[in-house]
Amino acid sequence: MTVLAEQTKYIGAAPRQLTLAQRIAERWPAWGSIFIGYFVLLIIYFPILWLMILSVSSEPLTGFAGDWTLRWYDDMLYGTGQREGEAYAVNSRVFDPLLLSLKLAFITAALCMVASLLIGPILPRVRFRGPLLLGYLMPLMVPGIVASVSLFLFYRLGLHWKMGEWSLGLAHFVWAFPFALLAMLVVSSRFDTRLLEAAADLGASPWRRFWDIQVPILKPGIFAAGFFGFLLSFNELPFSIFMRAGDITLPIYLWIQSGAHNSSVPLIFALSTLITIASIVLTFIAIKVAFGEKTVTVKKIRTA
Amino acid sequence: MALAEHAAGMNLRQFLPRMSAGIWSLSGFTFLWFIGIVVPLIGILLFSFLQTKGIKVQWDLTIKAYEKLFFYGGGPLIGRTIRIAATMTVIELLFAFPFALWLAKGAKNQNLKLITFTLLTVPFFLSPVARVIVWRSVMSVQGLVNTALLDIGIVSEPVEWLIFSEFAVHLGYLGQYFPAMVWPIFLSIALIDDEYLEASKDLGASRFRTLVHVILPLSLPGIVAGIIFSFVPMLGDTVVPQQMGGGNVMMISHNVYTMIGAANFVMAAALSAIILAIMLAFQVVLWAALRPVGGINNVFASLHR
Repeated sequence: MTVLAEQTKYIGAAPRQLTLAQRIAERWPAWGSIFIGYFVLLIIYFPILWLMILSVSSEPLTGFAGDWTLRWYDDMLYGTGQREGEAYAVNSRVFDPLLLSLKLAFITAALCMVASLLIGPILPRVRFRGPLLLGYLMPLMVPGIVASVSLFLFYRLGLHWKMGEWSLGLAHFVWAFPFALLAMLVVSSRFDTRLLEAAADLGASPWRRFWDIQVPILKPGIFAAGFFGFLLSFNELPFSIFMRAGDITLPIYLWIQSGAHNSSVPLIFALSTLITIASIVLTFIAIKVAFGEKTVTVKKIRTA
Repeated sequence: MALAEHAAGMNLRQFLPRMSAGIWSLSGFTFLWFIGIVVPLIGILLFSFLQTKGIKVQWDLTIKAYEKLFFYGGGPLIGRTIRIAATMTVIELLFAFPFALWLAKGAKNQNLKLITFTLLTVPFFLSPVARVIVWRSVMSVQGLVNTALLDIGIVSEPVEWLIFSEFAVHLGYLGQYFPAMVWPIFLSIALIDDEYLEASKDLGASRFRTLVHVILPLSLPGIVAGIIFSFVPMLGDTVVPQQMGGGNVMMISHNVYTMIGAANFVMAAALSAIILAIMLAFQVVLWAALRPVGGINNVFASLHR
């Protein structure tokens, strides 16, 4: 197992004069682990960046960039692309899934915000919090496809309910809620319950204590839950595969199209690029809100 | 309300109105969650012992589904899926632990840390298809990598196993699940008090001893979480085997999809149930390993710090 020389300050041997060779020998585990970490990050980001570059190249399927063109975006948006006499009518085929995905993402976000606000503040303070948390986190501990099949068989074959948008919403909620709950717990388990005691002593009703104290303090957690819900739902695939009737969400559209070994793939490059950029922007906002608001709220409370 | 009596550390009489509202919503939600989610998840174990006609369930217990599953090559399929997922989990752990250790205790540059955290967060929210689709064109026989290799002269003819092979599936998994391994390990190491490390040093422990006897045990919850969060989704990944394996590397997700498509519900259930049973057993062992350091309740304690 690698030992980090960076930690010399804490764990290392007594200070001594080192030759260059000794210093290199001392530090290579640290440099090695740093190199491996950033190398894997490169493996993560190279395909994403290359995807964006290829989406404005004329021959994306070869993997080579160049001969810049916006043709694939044009095809995707207007469905008017003419290629060797072929007419692409992708317009509504792209926008219907997009609208459905947005709708589901908003619903999932709202459900996640409400549910984590109901559960988050109380969960750290009950006796069976461990087992309860395990139950809530169960969708994280079961492979997506297994969970998806289980839910499908239970509702469709067990209860004979028809799949539809409700089941897609349910599936997305099941997938996103554990993350939203964890985000909320980060904030709510630090919540100082003495604030509620003080409010009660001053005669605030339960509703006022909830609305004027809990909600403002937990706001970063609520926002984080909403963002988690939105983004996780928007890009969700494994649960959606079975929990739908004929509905096609954007990830399902991408999955079906990319599975086909044919020429409509260039459009997916353009579409994926737009989704990726939108997701990155939203993630930045989420990070800012989750980590920025917290300090603001604390300051407000201190000055209030 | 049994739960209300257990509410710890609160003056119940004073907080009865709020507590009861909170407890009510907690128990109501928990009830729905367990009936609607946990029961179906466990229920697939039962379902795999039934038979169906169309979408009608016949309530006689039988192991026909399992017999068929293994007759049609379910064994090697499950074996391959677990082998690939386990291999990549070990590799991710070996790559992620030193990196997380450096991030938590070694890295001094705050800006670099912030950028790294962001880079590790963003991939969670990207479409899995968008994250791997490019490999197919980059690694293909006439693709970027092969052309480069040929031009440099490392190989004399195109390398074919770069895509639609087990190598490609492993590569796809490496990027897809690295952040899921780094984050929990990072969080658990970051929570270790620097004073413990100082104490270990003052008592004369070498860095290696400190790593094995102080850092490793204290970061065990993070390691376990990291293993679960990468091994579990790898087993059921739908995108990587399809995009990178391209039909040459069959894993369970594709077969489950085909079986459901062919209305062969019970076999899909049997395949899923085997994976679920393996997962549950695996996690019982892991959580048992966590008992000495406080088990699941430790999560709340660590959140509180």
